Amino acid sequence: MSCSPFDLKDYFLKELPEPEGRQVEAHVKTCQPCREELERLRLTQAALFSLRDEEIPQRIAFVSDKIFEPSRARRWWTAWAPSLAFATAALAVVAMVMRTVPATVSAPAAPPAPVVQTISDAEIQSRIDAAVSKAVAAQTTEVKSLVAELENTRRGLRLAAAEYELSQKRIGAVRLTAYSMPPEPLGEVK
Amino acid sequence: MIFRAVEDADLIRRAARGGVEAFNLLVSRWDKRVYNYLLRITGNREDALDLTQDVFLKAYQNLRKLEDPARFSPWLYRIAHNEAYSMFRKRRPEADLDSLEPEGTETGIAVGGSSVFPMELSLAVAGALERLSPDQREAVVLKIYQGFKFEEMSEILGCPVSTVKSRLYTALELLKLELAPVKARGAS
Repeated sequence: MSCSPFDLKDYFLKELPEPEGRQVEAHVKTCQPCREELERLRLTQAALFSLRDEEIPQRIAFVSDKIFEPSRARRWWTAWAPSLAFATAALAVVAMVMRTVPATVSAPAAPPAPVVQTISDAEIQSRIDAAVSKAVAAQTTEVKSLVAELENTRRGLRLAAAEYELSQKRIGAVRLTAYSMPPEPLGEVK
Repeated sequence: MIFRAVEDADLIRRAARGGVEAFNLLVSRWDKRVYNYLLRITGNREDALDLTQDVFLKAYQNLRKLEDPARFSPWLYRIAHNEAYSMFRKRRPEADLDSLEPEGTETGIAVGGSSVFPMELSLAVAGALERLSPDQREAVVLKIYQGFKFEEMSEILGCPVSTVKSRLYTALELLKLELAPVKARGAS
């Protein structure tokens, strides 16, 4: 049990007011047991301080960090736009190739049939030509329709992406407004 | 003493008005201290890091409720204390909180099998701290390592000053018995 006028631990931990602290200091000068107790406390504290603070392993995310992130629509568009463009271009090429097919197919039909051929052969040939032309025309129309449909879809996706991005911006603006709303009045500094 | 062009109280006022950058600066000033406090009471780096992140998010969301900017640090540590104990409860809801121990081993705070404190004295300190009860350990961390006053500790821990002193002084007696002789021998 300490004979100090005030708690030595309070003094050691700087929790004593100044006048009481001075009384403890005066006492300790003349009391060896209290001096030794203070020394043990000092050694204990020194030992505790051998454990150093660690550096934080990674930066704590700031509240503003998310604002700088691209929106989900922008990330989606960035990831898929090249594929979509490539698919559109590929379909356009296919369509163009298909359009050239009737010309090459109908070309051999142009030369007049040899006189030696019977009428029935010519008629068969013309029927074949007509059937091929019809099939190619139908195929071309179908490809054109597919290309047009794809184009419409692409426009629709662009519009949707733009609308989504706009809505995200609006949400971000609402968040920022909420962050910047004037707070309740703070208390006076004591 | 480190000179600061802008005091915390100014930053807190600005942040409370929605100044995100002011709050970011506050985070950079306090994150290491809060992290180390949480590391010493949880004994786990990953938990301490996650909790630190949660603490600052919660602090930002509730900053307008802080009436006196001068009380920022005990207020922030109160959030940290609550977050840590909330995590303890979630993990072991049936356990008495007094019996909860951090995850460190007797060789120090262990993460992935690696010891944080390799030196002999540090090991002795880590072991001695670990043998304290969680309440006593937290009192030591707040007083010795974080330098809070009794009144502030009472605010952080949500208990009377007398309880704070009782926990701390019991802990100091135990630590003194273990560590003073080691330190006196010059172990380092």
